Amino acid sequence: MAQPSVTLTAPEPQKPPVIAELRNVTKSFVVAGGSEMKVLDQIDLAVHEGELLALLGQSGSGKSTILRCLTGLTEPTIGRVLCYGQPLDGINPHASIVFQTFALYPWLTVEQNVAVGLMSKHMSRSDRDAAVEKAIELIGLSNYHAAYPREISGGMRQRVGIARALVSAPEILCLDEAFSALDVLTAENLRHEMISLWHKKDTSLKSIFMVTHNIEEAVEMATRICILFPRPGRLGLVLENHLPYPRDSKSPEFQNLVRTIHETITTLTLPDLPPEPTPVAGVPISRARNRMESIPYVPVGQILGLLSILRDTPDLTNIYDISNEIGKEFGETIGIVKAAEILALVDTPKNDVQLTELGQRFLSEDRIGRRQIFNDQIHNLRIFHIIIEYLKLQDEVEADQILKDIASALPYDNPEKILQTMVAWGRYAGIMDFNANTRTVFVLKDEDEEHS
Amino acid sequence: MPLPAFWVMNPDLPQFTAAEHRGRFGWLDVVILAGLFGLLWSVLHFGGGMLTHFDEHAMPPLETGVWHIPYYAGRTLLRMWLAFCCSLTFTFAVGYAAAKSRVARAIILPAIDVLQSVPVLGFLSATVTGFMALFPGSLLGVECASIFAIFTGQVWNMTFGFYHSMVTIPSDLQEAATTFGLSRWQRFSTLEVPSSMHSLLWNSMMSFGGGWFFVAQSEAISVMNKNIKLPGLGSYMAGAVERGDNSGAFWAVVAMLLVIVASDQFVWRPLIAWADKFKMELTEASQAPQSWVYDLLRGAYVFEWLAIHLLHPVTERLRVLTQRFVPAGPRKSTHGFSLSKLVFILLGTALVLWVGFHAVTGLIAAFESVRNAVSLEMLAKIAWLGVLTMLRVLAMTVLATLIWTPIGVWIASKPGVARIAQPLAQIAASFPVNMTFPIVVGLFVAWRIPMNWGSIFLIAMGTQWYLLFNVIAGAMAIPNDLKDAARTYGLRGWALWRTLILPAIFPFWVTGACTAAGGAWNASIVAEWATWGDTTLKADGLGAFIADVTQRGDTPLIICSIAMMSFFVVATNQLLWRRLYSLAERRFRLD
Repeated sequence: MAQPSVTLTAPEPQKPPVIAELRNVTKSFVVAGGSEMKVLDQIDLAVHEGELLALLGQSGSGKSTILRCLTGLTEPTIGRVLCYGQPLDGINPHASIVFQTFALYPWLTVEQNVAVGLMSKHMSRSDRDAAVEKAIELIGLSNYHAAYPREISGGMRQRVGIARALVSAPEILCLDEAFSALDVLTAENLRHEMISLWHKKDTSLKSIFMVTHNIEEAVEMATRICILFPRPGRLGLVLENHLPYPRDSKSPEFQNLVRTIHETITTLTLPDLPPEPTPVAGVPISRARNRMESIPYVPVGQILGLLSILRDTPDLTNIYDISNEIGKEFGETIGIVKAAEILALVDTPKNDVQLTELGQRFLSEDRIGRRQIFNDQIHNLRIFHIIIEYLKLQDEVEADQILKDIASALPYDNPEKILQTMVAWGRYAGIMDFNANTRTVFVLKDEDEEHS
Repeated sequence: MPLPAFWVMNPDLPQFTAAEHRGRFGWLDVVILAGLFGLLWSVLHFGGGMLTHFDEHAMPPLETGVWHIPYYAGRTLLRMWLAFCCSLTFTFAVGYAAAKSRVARAIILPAIDVLQSVPVLGFLSATVTGFMALFPGSLLGVECASIFAIFTGQVWNMTFGFYHSMVTIPSDLQEAATTFGLSRWQRFSTLEVPSSMHSLLWNSMMSFGGGWFFVAQSEAISVMNKNIKLPGLGSYMAGAVERGDNSGAFWAVVAMLLVIVASDQFVWRPLIAWADKFKMELTEASQAPQSWVYDLLRGAYVFEWLAIHLLHPVTERLRVLTQRFVPAGPRKSTHGFSLSKLVFILLGTALVLWVGFHAVTGLIAAFESVRNAVSLEMLAKIAWLGVLTMLRVLAMTVLATLIWTPIGVWIASKPGVARIAQPLAQIAASFPVNMTFPIVVGLFVAWRIPMNWGSIFLIAMGTQWYLLFNVIAGAMAIPNDLKDAARTYGLRGWALWRTLILPAIFPFWVTGACTAAGGAWNASIVAEWATWGDTTLKADGLGAFIADVTQRGDTPLIICSIAMMSFFVVATNQLLWRRLYSLAERRFRLD
């Protein structure tokens, strides 16, 4: 391990054998209004023997769906899942899952919960008890046999989840955001234990396949990192990570790798486009962005918060620093920045985020002025014209009608969430409101006109 | 390379070790064993009475002595539990089918919806003749009819509740069961029943409470001009009233109350306390339900002994046996042809066809007999009587709401009172007030109260309690911060009621009022037509009409009037209660 070995993917000739893989997998779900939403698009992903593979992606990118395909919980719409070269039929017998929510049965004790992992095996009572005892021992749960899940802490609960997954001696352990419901210290501790467990090789466990949205977590644990990009989910960058364990998150190699991932995500999510002409009052708005573009599911308050932070701390420009400052996951931060960007309130050259002229003006305006700017910017977004056109003709329009139109315009998005976001933005801009009882979007009466 | 410390034991964490079992029998175990054998003996003893010879023309008269009451109480209780066992079996079978199969669901859910609206008591005439034909010369036929009446009174909401909790099992728990390859039975016993346990028990308790009404009514029935009395508390009470035996009637009421309270204390409370561990939340409940019987039973060793020496060997043997038939490892996906699937589908189709055939031919026969025997004017009259009864049910609901809402809210504001009042209201709702109707009717006669108005009171006697304890529960569930906020802003009087109390208790009120109104339709059959000695008081209403035609055995009119009542119930459910439910769900949810 002489040279810091961080290499961008290059198909190596002699990789260890594959245990399970997805071949050209596409998955669609039926969403509101009966239209299909494509979640995964032509995924090729293999879990090799002896590796600790991390699948990194924002929430909603379809990474959990990949995990469910690999373990046999769902079947792909198109494509194949193979395990040791054989097409998977039903549940993958070589894999086991640790759930984000632990998924423990509250009415069973720790011991009984772990024993659930062996229920499908034909074993005598004594063999089973011995296996359960071994798993409990291995994961540090001795003394907790007779406790019920509600009596123990979150970290201990997840240990039960891990013991239950390991008791059936799987070859692949799948971690579905297994640490994200835990506090920072507990999660860190468990991560180390998972690495040592995988390292020790004294169990049947060969590989770990983990799904996470936490970049540091992936870099800390994985030997290979795949980044999944959303809408529809497709694999972007694949990175080999040969840093020696235990990994020091302060080391320059570690930081380098984290930065590489940040930059990749940033450039792919916030591409540098030629600057748009700022709209001038009275001049008809040219639709600079011609294709229908999705909007991030971000509430208005967070966009305003981002703008204020940018104004108050002029030194803060790097998007990664902003993410740390506001204490949000990088993926979420990207979403907020992107929302501000499509409203032309910020610009994102490279990894920086800067207030635009319009953004500056927006901040200096009072409530009515801000609303006006927001209103103008919304009219620049083509997706909003779905609703605006309806509202020109009639005072109110059924949500289902709009959902159908959104679904056909943005086949990779969740139409319900898009509509929610649009209504939230539209409310702030003072152009529309939503009646939850009748499920209709309606024109907002302009208060200012009433006043004058 | 060195890795961080594996796991540091936190000294603050409680040490969990398996509960120390004494491994020795104590006096408590002796008492419990005696109790178990006593239970077995009584089931056999009272059960033996069900199989005696029965001749409808030479019925032995019921004993009149007060000391016979315990025996009659035992017979009534056994009937209740047999009916409950049937209901539970039906619930598991049908609720499971509805949750698992799309086809079954499409048939079962609408069927339950209609069936729970059918007034059970109107059917007694048909079921009694049917079951008597099934067991000629044995009392078992009449017993079955009574048990069937109780069963139909309690089964529907249990089934629906079980179905509902089956389909709302959190998906992560389901996925865990799937990945670990649990078989159908393992899934059922480790996931599906436990996660439904809480709602299943509460629904069972409510249904069981509602069952007393039907048991009391079905023990003394007059159908087809025959007067049939089954040995039981309800029939003893009816006999005592006929004889004018006041002390007998009094002791029968006391016995009834005792039996209800005993069922509550010895069965339902312990079960509820035990089922607390089946709650879904992973947080420790601040106030776990208490039961002294449960605490007592937990201290006994006999159950543990039975589990080790009886249950475990048997389950182990069963497991070894079944292993021969089930392949090891996770189940394969069931695409394509599989023999068991085909057999299952064929059996299911056969069952549906059989039930469907009988339902259709029955309907055609019923329609034929009605068409020939019932004129259009008669039909109009029945509809008009239905309107009258509906007004009565409505009046009962409104009056009970006006009276019990303020009282319920007041009770809820005094925790000490609420702790006593809530179980009392539940017992009052369970008590079969129809047993006491003759006495009340006597008062009506004495005070010259017209039955058309008096029957509203009779209906309310049994059903108002559902409103009361739901309002209490609702008012107690108002979060403290909302109450504090109201106090901070000086909300008082009507403003407080309008902004906080009424919206907060509205969902609970809907549940209570819907249950009360549903019960009221059934109650109207016995409340609009009552006898006191030689006087028979009769109100104008569909309930009295059904009671009348049932007694005369006029089949076409029975069919017609029951269908009319079912129609009214279904219509009010659809037009009123369902809308109120969804309104409550949308606007007044507290979370």
